[in-house]
Amino acid sequence: MRIQEHPILDFSKKRGRKVTIYFEGEPIEAYEGEPIAEALHAAGIRILNYTHEKNRPRGLFCAIGKCSSCLMVVNGIPNTRTCITLVEDGLRIERQHGSQPLPKDYKPPSWKEAEKREADIIIVGGGPAGLMAGIKAAEKGAKVILMDENPLLGGQLVKQTHKFFGKRDQFAGVRGIKIAEILEKEAKEKGVEIHLETSAIGIFQVGEKRMVAAIKKNKKLMEFYGKAVIVATGAMEKMIPFENNDLPGVYGAGAIQTLMNTYGIEPGKRVLIVGAGNVGVILAYQLLQAKVNVVAVVEAMPKVGAYFVHAAKIRRLGVPILTRHTILRAEGNGKVEHAVIAQIDEKWRPIPGTEKRLDVDVIALAVGLRPSIELLHQAGAQITYARELGGYVVRHDERMETTVRGLFVAGDSSGIEEATTAMLEGKIAGLSAALFVGKAKPDTYEEILQAQRDLDEFRSGPFGKHILEGLKKVMIK
Amino acid sequence: MKSKVDIAIIGGGIIGLMTAFELAKRGEESIAVYEKRYIGSGSTFRCGTGIRQQFGDPANIQMMKRSVEKWKTLGEDMEFPKFKFAQTGYLFLLYSEKEVENFKKNVQLQNSYGIPSRIISPEEAREIVPGLDISEVIAASWNHTDGKANPFLAVYGLSRALKRMDVEINEYTEVQEIMVKDSRITGVKTSKGEVKADIVLNAANAWAKILNQKLGLDFPIEPYKHQGIVTEPFKLGEIKPMVVSFKYGGAYLTQKANGGLIGGIALKYGPTWDLTPTYEFLREVSKNFTKIIPALKYMSIIRQWGGYYAETPDHNAVIGKIEEIEGYYLAAGFSGHGFMLAPAVAEGMAELITKGHTSLPLDFYDPYRFKRGELREQAIQMG
Repeated sequence: MRIQEHPILDFSKKRGRKVTIYFEGEPIEAYEGEPIAEALHAAGIRILNYTHEKNRPRGLFCAIGKCSSCLMVVNGIPNTRTCITLVEDGLRIERQHGSQPLPKDYKPPSWKEAEKREADIIIVGGGPAGLMAGIKAAEKGAKVILMDENPLLGGQLVKQTHKFFGKRDQFAGVRGIKIAEILEKEAKEKGVEIHLETSAIGIFQVGEKRMVAAIKKNKKLMEFYGKAVIVATGAMEKMIPFENNDLPGVYGAGAIQTLMNTYGIEPGKRVLIVGAGNVGVILAYQLLQAKVNVVAVVEAMPKVGAYFVHAAKIRRLGVPILTRHTILRAEGNGKVEHAVIAQIDEKWRPIPGTEKRLDVDVIALAVGLRPSIELLHQAGAQITYARELGGYVVRHDERMETTVRGLFVAGDSSGIEEATTAMLEGKIAGLSAALFVGKAKPDTYEEILQAQRDLDEFRSGPFGKHILEGLKKVMIK
Repeated sequence: MKSKVDIAIIGGGIIGLMTAFELAKRGEESIAVYEKRYIGSGSTFRCGTGIRQQFGDPANIQMMKRSVEKWKTLGEDMEFPKFKFAQTGYLFLLYSEKEVENFKKNVQLQNSYGIPSRIISPEEAREIVPGLDISEVIAASWNHTDGKANPFLAVYGLSRALKRMDVEINEYTEVQEIMVKDSRITGVKTSKGEVKADIVLNAANAWAKILNQKLGLDFPIEPYKHQGIVTEPFKLGEIKPMVVSFKYGGAYLTQKANGGLIGGIALKYGPTWDLTPTYEFLREVSKNFTKIIPALKYMSIIRQWGGYYAETPDHNAVIGKIEEIEGYYLAAGFSGHGFMLAPAVAEGMAELITKGHTSLPLDFYDPYRFKRGELREQAIQMG
């Protein structure tokens, strides 16, 4: 089902040309510019593949190309990440059943030299951190290339319909979607070279330069050479253990936002949200905006984690937030049909007799994120564990440089926080990288120091305490 | 950690662990293994997993024949049936008359030792591996009794068996020096203290030279960086044997038990201690693999890593008793063949240590051949 009316978003303008794709031979209507899995969801198709070992149905989970839950056979090619592969007229799509045979193809590929692009700074990730880094570095005169594996710039901002808090010069009062537009426009004006649908596959040392190898549109090998690299690859959703947590309809909170706020697709009719942090509570409000029923928000902690105003807003709209509750299992035949929740005691054990069976078709997991550190790890940067920052995090100094010289990090990939801090870190990383490549003047230090002060200020509140604890473990002194 | 043992083994790779196993089976009661990181971490866990008898000289053929016999029963022997030797064969693709001539000679030699290898047609090769591009292949050398095994399960199974047999395995314990007095072994000095021992086996492969040099001994073993890749899984059985192509990069590739492809090519760097994966390798491996099995172009590589081939000038290992120091033995420099050779080497080494002689042709790997200028014919090597 597609969303026809929305108080903030106008999808009739956003949707591209109508095309026809074929799911197991059946024609399905889709719009240009939307990924395959999202188009299938709009057509009511929840099961995307079956697992190798136990033949269990699997559906969408992260919707940003990170979790491999959406792998399908597209035009005969198995293991295609359908959540970030755009529809094309006439595409043939099949569910994948376990491991697939090799396609019958006896023609060796013709090898061309990879397309080479060169700049001072290469940025991986076009979310708030990466975009801000690109803008700041380009402002200082550095030539910047930025790539992102998603079809849109803005990272998770493109699905945030709520207005941001904070200071005026940190986009306070502006909706996330609008911030994405502003950053994109600015990056383009400043001459940042942008490559979308481009997945970085590795960072290598080639002579004096660092080279980011990437695949564009699942097909084309590209080599991006630079003196410095900034990794701003964001995060991915965490999963929690409960019975049938792999049933199609159990989605990461971000996936639901992608479906409804980016592509105008109704995620379902009745939703249970697990986790009452900011993500879970904001998601509840966004679902209500899209006229989707939110049955409840369950939270294992005794207190709501989200900002008070956000929580108050959804309570006013009649959504119960059940603290000291957890999900026991999902139920359903091939898709979520019910969720069973229960109250838990001080030792986190379910209290017998408190089970409730909820009639829902979507279970949204808003149980935290973990940094996407794979590229940084591959590039040889030192990794350390910091629970407060979401798990394994790359070590970095105050200027966002990792233990590998010339390799910088910014945003959630350096520890889970939020878009505002991601932008500030992006600013620091962009300016530091511009200094590193010799493009910025020494007075740039002042700007870096200012951004560091802004970060400190932002983290000085009660929510920041936790982050600062984590950063102690991560920072190179 | 014991302060005194009979036999101290340096290196917790497949050679060290397997030799400890063979020694313990023969009733040796006081054995300890010292590994500077975790067991398997040096070269064993980084290996290409292949086990073959298709060599070009009598010694390696006989050693590998014995190894295969022992690989087949290893799961039972170490009471860990989850470990299985996958006897799925080795298929060498041949592209020129000269290559065919060479392999015909090898096959004759292999047959004379009872190895059932044979030269087959390109069509037969494709029956074994349906995805092969045989447009340039003129023949193949095939032996169905070769195979592969999972190094992680082998090491895990051995470590369990060794613990049962009271062999002490010391991880994160680096041997810094081999202690010698009056030309006799007296023990080892480790990062966690000294241990007295009468016998020391240096099974440190790439690192063996460092300890030898401290003793004033010089056997030519140099670390070269080789690399491997694994792809996402595809349907099991598509590439059962190890497929080898000298024409395309000296490539070897096969499917692991989970369906992912594992393999490498002959591109090497060194001597070096650096193990950083290179882009050049990633490109070359993709180029060469897709020449051999074109449909692999649809499969994504999910891991790439580096590991050492501890190479000698003739690509054959350095195995034997060290004459200058009583009680000192060496089994290192396997040049990429340590994993497959391990069971036979361990058996031979255990016999050498306990009885003073072995029926296996360990002489071939005589450490002093380099000094005498008696290099062996280069062992068939790829990857």
